[in-house]
Amino acid sequence: MEVELAEVRDFLADHAPFDRLPAAELAELPRRCTIRYARRGSVVLEVGERGDGLYVVRSGAVEVRDETGELVDRVGTGEAFGMSSLLEHRPTRYRCTAVEDTLLLVLEPAAFEELTRAHPDVATFYAATHHARLSRAIGNLQRATSGSTALGTRVRDLLTREPVTTTPTATVRDAAAAMSEAGVSCILVVEHLALLGIVTDRDLRNRVLAAGLPPDSPVRPVMTPDPVTLPDDALAFEALLEMVSRDIHHLPVVDETGRPVGLVTTTDLVRLENANPVYLAAEIGGQPTLTGVVAEAPGIHAVLGQLVERDVSAADISRVATALGDAVRRRVVALVEAELAGEGLGPPPVPYSWVVLGSVARDEEGFTADQDHAIVLGAEPGEDGAAWFAALAERVTAVLEQCGWPRCPGDMMATNPQWRLTVPQWRRLLADWSREPQPDAVLHTAVFHDMRHLAGDPGLTEQVHLASVSTASPRLLGHLSRQALAMRPPLGFFRGFVVERHGEHRDTFDIKRPISAVVQLARIYALRSGSPALSTRRRLAAAAAAGTIDQDTATELTDALELMSYLRLHHQAAQARSGRTPDNFLRPADLTQRQRRHLRDAFEIVRSAQQRLSSHLPPGFE
Amino acid sequence: MRARLPVLRRSRRPDHYPPGPLRDLAAAPPPPGSTPVSQVELLALDLEATGLDPRTDHVLALGWVPVVRGRVLLAEAEEHRVRPPAGVDVGSSATLHHLTDDALSGAEALPDVLPLLLGALHGRVLLAHHAPVEVGLVGAAAMTSYGARPPLTVVDTLAVEHRLRADVHGEVWGSLRLDAARQTYGLPRYAAHHALTDAIAAAELLLAQVAELEVRLGREVLLRDLSPKRSG
Repeated sequence: MEVELAEVRDFLADHAPFDRLPAAELAELPRRCTIRYARRGSVVLEVGERGDGLYVVRSGAVEVRDETGELVDRVGTGEAFGMSSLLEHRPTRYRCTAVEDTLLLVLEPAAFEELTRAHPDVATFYAATHHARLSRAIGNLQRATSGSTALGTRVRDLLTREPVTTTPTATVRDAAAAMSEAGVSCILVVEHLALLGIVTDRDLRNRVLAAGLPPDSPVRPVMTPDPVTLPDDALAFEALLEMVSRDIHHLPVVDETGRPVGLVTTTDLVRLENANPVYLAAEIGGQPTLTGVVAEAPGIHAVLGQLVERDVSAADISRVATALGDAVRRRVVALVEAELAGEGLGPPPVPYSWVVLGSVARDEEGFTADQDHAIVLGAEPGEDGAAWFAALAERVTAVLEQCGWPRCPGDMMATNPQWRLTVPQWRRLLADWSREPQPDAVLHTAVFHDMRHLAGDPGLTEQVHLASVSTASPRLLGHLSRQALAMRPPLGFFRGFVVERHGEHRDTFDIKRPISAVVQLARIYALRSGSPALSTRRRLAAAAAAGTIDQDTATELTDALELMSYLRLHHQAAQARSGRTPDNFLRPADLTQRQRRHLRDAFEIVRSAQQRLSSHLPPGFE
Repeated sequence: MRARLPVLRRSRRPDHYPPGPLRDLAAAPPPPGSTPVSQVELLALDLEATGLDPRTDHVLALGWVPVVRGRVLLAEAEEHRVRPPAGVDVGSSATLHHLTDDALSGAEALPDVLPLLLGALHGRVLLAHHAPVEVGLVGAAAMTSYGARPPLTVVDTLAVEHRLRADVHGEVWGSLRLDAARQTYGLPRYAAHHALTDAIAAAELLLAQVAELEVRLGREVLLRDLSPKRSG
């Protein structure tokens, strides 16, 4: 019996990707659908469910939101959802809610599978939709700034090494040995530059060990012959689709002549997709070259952007930013050291430590941080040794600049010989600054009090840092306080925001000033209470614990810092997303009424803390 | 105290019916009215005929589709064109359903299609928009073939819509025709008077009505909330 489901067929025929199907196949699809109705407001598909197939909106509209409730996509008539479960064979990470009264056509999973298998362009169509939603869901900033999705990467760009190969006549033992040596789970069987087959760990287990074959059996009967391959200009999501639909984990990549040029694994793709901080840090730490590190570094902004979109707290984002930055900095120092040794300049002539200063030392790095660093020497290095450290400092600084950290305009970097000192020299310098603070020295003290170990001998860093904490004289504290008071929050007498009247930053205020005010206040409190804490939050807590300030002040300032940092991060993430250089200039008009009210409260908190500090100043410092 | 009068109901025992499709159907009744609609199987049916009078008019096409667990199962949709008895012309009704005498000359005979429909109704509630037409025509056909009307439980989307729209005075505003009723739920517009399309349209309308009822009642909708009628 022929049943013509004409309405459904004609509807599908009007919408991509069904419009590309041959008429005969199209006519078969309606029978493999069910129809469902979802009232406005009802949840069609919940996070963690697998769904019943591909949901095509027949009429109405559905919103797709991720676990955190962020809108990922709005699906209208003729569009679909639910493909993520079908493509990945796992429960969905979205909640799909009807936002209008909605009629749905649900294509059964087996039909979807057959369709995507028979029509690669249909598969590509849904993979693209899936990955566009995924990218939005993970807030992939890299996409916005570089114009390509992670899974839009060409597979040739994923290949990290030449393929590990063997021949069909080699023994299984040889093949296994080659795999062990290269640390791979799969080997390609090649003859006359042509790919004959593939042998995986699983094959060795199932077809050799379990089958009781001797180790000197040839590879040919064990291999999977004529494996599925991908051309090297295929896209990463096509690779993902192949693997998912065929349930395989290794895909050989061939060039236009059919010669195997490498292997893509599911791990490669998962890495590509999950731009998560832990992975990125590991990836940076494993880069074998400086060029590689420079290439990975922009990923930091992408990760920070994601965290901002997920509404992670400013304190946590800053910590992640610092940790990722440290991964880059450590790797660069290590690679430059190796480079110097490779050029015949030898290992470090004396023990040393590389220290970071300022916001990086306080774990408060954001989108905008200069390079602030110094070197602590374990002994006098002599003339040749000094040249070695000069070369180290110059190269590290140059590479970090390429990674996106501008050089410090105040030249507080290890490139400056003034900041490459032995422990006794650092102690003397800190003591000098404390005794006779010159205007320059006050600024220096502030920066060098925020000192954290990055690389080398941590004991050297520790000695200098503790000296900086113990050498703060009342006179120095007075100067630091005066500096802290100069950072007035941009708040007028009648609680209006004070904005720039002229120039490039007209109608904005500089959020860095009130943030710096809190940072400086906390530093003063920490010095007064003798705490070696580095982060502003820890310093405030330590000062409250020591009774230097009351608990309310500590809590209020911590909250104010979080709010101001949060707004700054969101502002900077938006700038980074649209390809602009992140800055500190917020426009009150861009804030919601609620944000403005909270920001005014934060500024009030900073201002009153400054007033209390000013009333405690020793004579001559107001 | 007055004794409560027993409610008289026509027997639906299978042995009330002649052996064959009707007795089989009577042996497979749909679940009771207390069953949630989500667990009831329905069969949406639409007929095209030479007219609306079961005594004088003839079925030209039947379309049906099951509704199971809130889903319209297109895989089990069926459509049959029916050859009218000799000497009967489609006449002017062809302007509505576009089924011409020529188109129907090679079609099946109603007595051959009827057992298929009755088989599809096993355990299911018959669903139609303005059901008296379908019930009347199917009943007349069964009377001709088997000498009895089939035992049916019937839900009428038009009657449901009437209840949903009636205000406190029992007045109903606006058209209750299938297409008009569908539009109030934002359902798409289909070309009318095609048996299977209309059956699907009625099935979709029921899903929308059940969703609406669920909100109004604030609980799961039971079969009895749809005021099912028994016939046959």
